[in-house]
Amino acid sequence: MHLLIVEDDHVIADHIVSGLGHIGHSATLARTGAEAIKAWTERSHHAVVLDRMLPDIDGMSVIDHMRSSGSTTPVLMLSALGSVKNRIEGLQRGADDYLAKPFSLDELAARLDALVRRGTSRPGKIGLEVGSLQLDASSHRASFRGKTAALNRKQYSLLAHLMSNADRIVTKAMLLEAVWSYSFSTATNIIESNMSRLRTGLQEIGCDPIETQRGAGYILRSERCA
Amino acid sequence: MRLISDALARPARLGRLAIQFGLAFAIAMIAIGVIGFGLADHWVSSRIDQSLTYHADKYVAKVEGDPSAEMHLQAAILEWQHRKVLSERTYILFDRNDRRIAGRLDIRPPPAGFSYVHFTGGGRHVEEGRALAKRLPRGGLFVVVQHSEAAEGLHAILPWAVLAICLVALVLGVSATFLFAKLTAERLSETQHIAAAIAAGDLSRRIPMDRLDGMFAEQGESLNQMLDHMEELVRAQQLFSSNLAHDLRTPLMRLRSLLETASRDDQVTFPSLLERAERECTSIINIFDALLRLAEIETGQHPTAMAQVSLRPLLEDIADTMEPVINDCGGTLAVRQLDDVTITGDPDLINQLMINLIENVATHTPRGTNVTLALESGESGAMITVCDDGPGLATGDFVRITKPFERGSAASARTGSGLGLAIASAIARFHRGSLELVDASPGLEVRVRIPANDDQNASVRGGMPRAS
Repeated sequence: MHLLIVEDDHVIADHIVSGLGHIGHSATLARTGAEAIKAWTERSHHAVVLDRMLPDIDGMSVIDHMRSSGSTTPVLMLSALGSVKNRIEGLQRGADDYLAKPFSLDELAARLDALVRRGTSRPGKIGLEVGSLQLDASSHRASFRGKTAALNRKQYSLLAHLMSNADRIVTKAMLLEAVWSYSFSTATNIIESNMSRLRTGLQEIGCDPIETQRGAGYILRSERCA
Repeated sequence: MRLISDALARPARLGRLAIQFGLAFAIAMIAIGVIGFGLADHWVSSRIDQSLTYHADKYVAKVEGDPSAEMHLQAAILEWQHRKVLSERTYILFDRNDRRIAGRLDIRPPPAGFSYVHFTGGGRHVEEGRALAKRLPRGGLFVVVQHSEAAEGLHAILPWAVLAICLVALVLGVSATFLFAKLTAERLSETQHIAAAIAAGDLSRRIPMDRLDGMFAEQGESLNQMLDHMEELVRAQQLFSSNLAHDLRTPLMRLRSLLETASRDDQVTFPSLLERAERECTSIINIFDALLRLAEIETGQHPTAMAQVSLRPLLEDIADTMEPVINDCGGTLAVRQLDDVTITGDPDLINQLMINLIENVATHTPRGTNVTLALESGESGAMITVCDDGPGLATGDFVRITKPFERGSAASARTGSGLGLAIASAIARFHRGSLELVDASPGLEVRVRIPANDDQNASVRGGMPRAS
């Protein structure tokens, strides 16, 4: 995947470019809004990582420029402004995701992955199915090779989210946002505890597709649902 | 700061207010003068007209129906002239050809009825008189003229009198206002000195109340109350900052130790040290996230999605979410009672309130502590209870612990942001509710009260606007 990184801070910019390069993504780096717009017109990118505060023009104006040319390329906005209000502003102005600084590179990579694949994502949640693992929306039951397990609402939503993002890393922050709709960070291991219950439930019907990626998040392997 | 104290030290200016007040007073006096003189003038005029009617009727009535009325009147006028040497009234008789046949006043015959006539009195001096003319049956004209020195004098002095009254009123009005403003300023000057001292940084100063009365006392009292509140806020702010600095020292110290160890040790322990360092970073970030959140709620900057929130499903969801967490800490989470209550609120904030309270039990009580959750509907709204059977709090901790960075004195580990209860409390206040800590012996009970379906939710916030 080729990305456009717009970030004026040298340390952060280099960290992002080298980190993403490490996992196989190439990137063009722009340090100002003008450079970003120039790089944007020169070639196409799968996604844009855009700092909100740039030395010349506001990151919001860069989005306006991209969106006015009819582009739908996903934009992930980075910002030191981390309140819910700032986040909503960013999303309303056309960003597809908003990540407050400080963030981890795993988080950034997982979110970029989700953004880029969103366009090619499987449709809907009706009749969610990965391999032999099936999830029934009406009864909140997971079934695998004839055996079924009853899930509570949270376990159901967790599994549904993992299944619709099968084979992709989903971070804890993404799960808190998508499954719980919480805009705040939590002090305890809410995700771990709930995930462990879900895994136990699935193991009881002979299925164990969820893998923990240390420090990064979770991944549901489709080959383990075969 | 300098500008403020300079402005306060200057004596109060009285000018404009005194002049405005004096002008208003003078205008009022002019109005009263004009009305008064108008009435007096009207009264004098009507008295003159009455007198004219009386005297004209007296003469004309005597000759009513008499064919030689002119002759009789001529005789009566002559007789009157002999009798009266000095009078402000005089009679004139004209025949049918408008020729004066009796009377001394040289005027042209006026129209019948009341009118003003002009004549030369004495020498060349033209004077004005009021006349009543009555037409006689044979064509003659009987005229009574009254020349009132009093009425004329009144007209002459009217503008001067009004002017004099205006000037006196203006002077009196301005000096009364000036005096009043000076007295007010004297009383306020002490307040100004105190304000200057406070602006210079001495928040302990208060306005002395012993010499103040009436509205000054009321004003002084409300200012003192405001100062009490401000001093409290400033002190809380100072405490907050020092607590924050202290709380950050621990994870920063740990981070530094880890980095130092990593730089000394061999490469084998490197990855685990770095991972631990990252965890310390996360805990510092968490403190800042929580701080930001607290500030957002308390200053009312949280973008609120105020909606009708049905608390029962929300709490069921919380119980589902937190049960595994409490289980992992060796305890149980039980739901005692869940009534149906709908409140007007922000579901995201209510979620955080509940998560914070239950996480508080998970992080600050020994393993195996059980949690009981309840939602009761009452007259005043909803009451949410989170009760644990842990060791509870020391007596002195109950008030302190809802403040930022305060932990129970028995809490061993300094885990968490130290802001959980402060945020929960701010969320309760945001919803015009309250958060109360009760000794459940054993354990701690947290009671959150939120008014049900409060109409005025959106405009009034629990948070206080930040002074800029």
